[in-house]
Order: sequence, then C-alpha cells, then structure tokens
Amino acid sequence: MRVHFVLNGEETACDCAPDALLLDVIRDLGHTGTKEGCAVGVCGACTVLVREVPVCSCLYLAAMADGAEVWTIEGIAARDPTLIECFVEREGMQCGICTPGQVVSAFALGLDYGQATEEEIRQFMSGNLCRCTGYVTIIEAVRTYLDRR
Amino acid sequence: VGERVAAVVAESRAVAEVAAALVEIEYEELPAVFTAEAAIAPGAPAVHDAPWGYPRAFVKEEQGQNRQSVVEEGSLDAVEAALATSAFVVDETYTTPAVHQGYLEPQACVAEVEPSGKIRLWLTNKSPFVVRSQIADCLGIDPGSIDVQPIALGGDFGGKGSPEDAPLCIALARRVGRPTKMVLRYSEDLASTDARHPARVRVRIGCDAEGRITAWSQDALLDGGAYGGFKPAGTVNIHGTLEPGGYRIPAFYGRSVIAYTNTIPKGHMRAPGSPQATFATESAMDELALKVGLEPAELRRRNLPRTGEREANGREWIELRGLETLEAALSALRRRKDAPPGWRLGIGMSVYCRATPTSTGSSMRLVPKPDGRLRCEIGVIETGTGSHTVARELLAQSLAVPLEDIEVVQVSTDELPVDPGAGGSRVTSSLSMVADQAVKAWRARLDDEPVLVVVEEKGGPPVGSYGVQIAQVAVDPDTGQVDVLELLSTVDVAEIVNEKAHQMQIDGGAAMGFGYACLEDLDESDGQVWSANLGEFKLPSARDVPELKTVLVRGARGVGTANVKNIGETTTPPTAAAIANAVADAVGVRVRNLPLRAERVLALIERSS
Repeated sequence: MRVHFVLNGEETACDCAPDALLLDVIRDLGHTGTKEGCAVGVCGACTVLVREVPVCSCLYLAAMADGAEVWTIEGIAARDPTLIECFVEREGMQCGICTPGQVVSAFALGLDYGQATEEEIRQFMSGNLCRCTGYVTIIEAVRTYLDRR
Repeated sequence: VGERVAAVVAESRAVAEVAAALVEIEYEELPAVFTAEAAIAPGAPAVHDAPWGYPRAFVKEEQGQNRQSVVEEGSLDAVEAALATSAFVVDETYTTPAVHQGYLEPQACVAEVEPSGKIRLWLTNKSPFVVRSQIADCLGIDPGSIDVQPIALGGDFGGKGSPEDAPLCIALARRVGRPTKMVLRYSEDLASTDARHPARVRVRIGCDAEGRITAWSQDALLDGGAYGGFKPAGTVNIHGTLEPGGYRIPAFYGRSVIAYTNTIPKGHMRAPGSPQATFATESAMDELALKVGLEPAELRRRNLPRTGEREANGREWIELRGLETLEAALSALRRRKDAPPGWRLGIGMSVYCRATPTSTGSSMRLVPKPDGRLRCEIGVIETGTGSHTVARELLAQSLAVPLEDIEVVQVSTDELPVDPGAGGSRVTSSLSMVADQAVKAWRARLDDEPVLVVVEEKGGPPVGSYGVQIAQVAVDPDTGQVDVLELLSTVDVAEIVNEKAHQMQIDGGAAMGFGYACLEDLDESDGQVWSANLGEFKLPSARDVPELKTVLVRGARGVGTANVKNIGETTTPPTAAAIANAVADAVGVRVRNLPLRAERVLALIERSS
C-alpha cells in the first residue's frame, strides 16, 4: 500500500505492506537513528513523534501514520539544537543505543510541560530504559533543557 | 531448552520469518535437568554423555556427571577445625536467579566470506581478538583468516563476550556464497544468549567472642546451562564466587561448582560470580553480627585488613583501604526520615573488594596525520563506557597537547597484533599501560613514521579497590513492598582520568545492582525462559532507580604512571546484600533468595509474626 507522511518536515511517500511497522519503514528510508530494542513497546529506544505525540515505532503500523507529521531523532536534532546541546553537555548517554529515544521523549516532555519537577521528569521519561547510566545524567540533561528553553 | 535447531536464510527478515514458521519439528521429550541441584543429584540424566572428553575440558570423569567446572581454594579441614571452636557460627544458604545483561542493543552478526576463504565479521562482541581465536578454534582455521571489523557496541555488561551465532553465520555465508546477517529479536536474546548463572551459595563464617573472624567457607553451586563454551575463561568457572570478601580470614575454603543443565548456556555478566557470592557473604556477615551482638559496621571494622596483610587465599595486595572506605561511608551517611505513614525505615551495608589487573597484552599504533594531529589506533572496542575518550585523554595528557589534536579509532583485528578486549575491569589500566609505552616510543622516534607498541605486562599483585554501599529502604509491613530510597556508594579510588565517565560507572553499576536485588529474574522454571520480553524481565526505569549518592575516597595507589584503578565492576556486587540487610533492619526478616519482591518479603513477615 502507498503511505504518505511528512517525515522530519519533508513530504514522503512509500510503498509498504499493510502490516509494516513504522520503525522498519523509517529505517528503510535511511533514517537509521531510530533503534529497535525490545520490539514490544517497553524500552522506548524506537520512540518517534507522530502528530507531536511520542510513540513506540516498533508497535506502530506505518499505515497509521498516513497523512501525519513524523519526527525522528534526525529531525528533532535539527528542530531543537538546544536539546542536543543539553544531552552532550550533561553527558546524558553512554553506549548511545537508547539515546535517540531519550532525546525524542525529552522533546515531547518539553512540548507538554513548560516546567516539571524531578518526579514528573522521571515519570515522563520512565518509558525510555537505559542500562548504562543509572539515569542521573539523562535526568540532568532533561532538567537543563527545560530550564534553558 | 532454547537450543537452535534449524536456520533459514532469505532475502529479507519477513521472508525468513515465514519460512521459519513452515519448519515442523517433532520433539521427543527426554529426561532433563533444569536446576544445578537436580543436575548433580545421583542418577540424574546426563546433559552430555562424557564432557570430560571434550577438547580442553576442565572437568574429570571422577568429579561426577553434569559438571562443567569444579574449582576449590583453601583448606576445608582447617575451616572445619576452626568452626568447631568458634564462639559464634553462621551457616546459611542463599540463592540468586538467572538474569540477563540487559544491554538494549540485541546481539547481531554479519559474516562475509571471500573466495580466498578470508572471513570478515561485523559482530556485537566486546573482545575482537579473543572472539577471533575462539571462532578460529571452533572452525579449525587459522585466526589470521578472520578479520573482525571495528564497530561500536550498544551496551555489553559481559554478555557480548562469546561467539554466539558467528560460526552459524559463517557457515551459512559459505553455503549461500553471499554475506549473511543475523539480528536477534530481543525476546530471542533474552531466551538464548548467555545470562548470569543462577546460584546457590552456602556460607559458613565463624568468629570469636569479640567478633574476630576465625573461619570462612563459601560453597557455590551454579547452573551453567547446556554449554560451557559461552564463558571465555580458562577454567570455565566464574571466579567471583571464590573471592573471600576482602576480610582478614585465618582459615578459608571456597568451592565453585558449575553444573550442566538443560537450560540456556550461562556466561559472563558484570563481575562474573561476585554478585552471587557477595549477596551471600555480606548477608551472612549481618546475620553473624546479630548473633555476636555487634553493629554490622563494627563487625566489619574489626575484620577489615590493613595494607601489608595477605588475603585469605594468600593473595597479596598493593594496598588495602577497606577501613578508610568504611569510615568515609559511615561519616557521609545521612539517615532518611521520609517513610510513608506506616512504613518502616531500614539501613543496610555491604562491602566488596575488587582487583584491578596489573597485567595486560595489548597494542597501540600512533600515526602522524598530514594536518599535524595524531591518530591513535587501538583494538579496544567502545562499549559505551568511554574507553576511547579515556585513551584520548591519557595521550593528550602525556604528550601535553590539546584533546582536539588526538583522534582515537578502533581498527580491525588484521591491523593490530593483540588486545585483551573490554572486561575484567581492565580497560583503563590496560590503556594506561599501553599509552605510556606508546608515548615513550613516539618521543624516541627518528622519523615521522607511525609507531607501533606491543605491551606484554605480566604484572604483580593486584590493586584492590573497596566499594562500601549503604542502602536505605522503606518497607510496607502490610504488603511487603520495598522502596529503596537511597544507595550510597563509597569507592576507594586513585587518579580518575575522566570524572564523568567514572561517575557513570558507579551510578550505572549501582542501578544494575538494584535491578538484580529487586526486579530481575529470567525465570527458567521448567527449563524455558519465561521472562522472554522486557515487559516480563523488568529492567529498572528512571522511576525505579533509587537516589544514587557517591563518596570518593581519593588518594589510593593505582596502576602505571597514570595511577588508575578499576571502577566498572565495583558497585554492582554489593548492592543486593546492602538492600537485603536494610530490609532485615526495617522489618526483622531475612531475605535469602533474590529477587527481593514484595510477595517474598510479605511471606517472611507473615511467618515471623
């Protein structure tokens, strides 16, 4: 089937199977920043924005994104360089596999909340697992981002 | 259960999945063993008929059926004699479950076989040179005919240290005459790779009337799964189970038995063997303190050795700063008061001593670039710990040049002679030793040609590093729910190359220790992995992880001119015992089986009242 969406600000169309996952479709389009982790919607490594809402692209059919705006890490990085600066500055990452999802979720948090308490940040970010850091620097990066924007 | 039985090669994953679904398998159920206890029981069905006959097998026939490895240290007779005359003795058994390393990048392999027979591998493996020889050994070919390519890893924690499916990918690439790629789904990774060994550890500690330890025995029985080859260690054992806890022990006996079972093979995970053993021994230390009538900290204070004393197994240490670390932890402790109404607060501590290896076998090449910068080629993979940053900082510091002037790259196994890989808390110390030699050679060079150094350092006594952890918990006596409020990690450190990366090892290690203590269990009842997705196998989220605090006890003696120590495996092993000890302090029940879930705590509370 033919699916049209706006990917990172650019009109995009592709042919895919009705059961194709958004994750596979955007990766096949060359946007490989989005990662497959758990593949069951738990770890958040594959998080992208669809209609400005963070979704697990490993559970999201590409067909459901028809007509929507989709933002992946590649687009978010260009859309809000401050966010990337905050993750780099606070070293909110180690191996990097969860980082695209963490950044996209942090962006979505910024869309929803002007300010947030530590508890609210942790609650919002709890859908993005990280095995390396113990989360301290990730939460610091998000905190810095909310303060700076 | 979990054995690969067939392989399908296709143009796409979708086609491969459809084809795999067409494979019909008829199974005949055979007698099986799913726990180490069942495996070593008399008359148990044999997992392998004669494992002692395998090439380089570590076990002998007389050691019994279903043994992968049996290692003993110290003297059981001396321990029995000393226990018989000790004023107080604790004798308890503790169990821990199988858990997965939890890296978020599933294991993957791409294999390409050239017409010449040369094999190129892109493999999620943390020790390219080690895995090259393992695969060569497996295929009966020369290691030089395999070139393992540089890649970055999406987390390791010990789980990416065996060949996994590389031999299969190579065989399939040869068969189809094209490169093959295999990427595990996470559920497959959980249910088939190389999880941490489940363990049952019996601990016996005796002491005199003043609480001075007289004898110490730790007897570990581990479930090694169906194959031993997923552990890249010479004895196939996991030696953390034989570490005597960093105390002054006059009579020591340690035994570590790994059994074959019909479950997935077990491998290495962050400080192999130590989390299992330390949960047991540091819980037992608190149980002993209760018998003697001493505060847990006081019992430890009386038994931590000073520099110059030998460890129980005769091992010498360059320096021992357990006492300083303990005192620093106690003075930094601020008691929490934030228990919800009706919940009870508790505090628990745990001590762990980790060795930094002083040996290495590694190499490095420094190549001048046309723009005046320096390119540093290493065989060390970047697993996410910042090893390449550390190499860059070490070189920039030694050469007194800006960081921007140094570029660090991992090269393939064809391009350097040797490297030990990431593991054993050795990367920073190994890099510092090889960087030191490389800088000397660079300074002494006569022309502008690249400089290659190969370092084979045998090393002397290990450098020890103590980690003292204090957990503060709130427990709901009505439900058994445990809320770990805070983990205070106090670590004995020398020079720190990169403060942030060092801190993240402490924090990430403690968070992993917390997951092991409270959440994670692969659950292999009936032999199959039941927690085969990340919804069931619960990794700690940002909400679950307790407040993490750190005290660094600086000024220790480290390794090499950079004077560095280990950090990656210091804060995971002690956590579970610290939390179990805090739960005992809060509600008076002793949890001897991980994970420390509410149901388990509640059952103990109900039984005790």
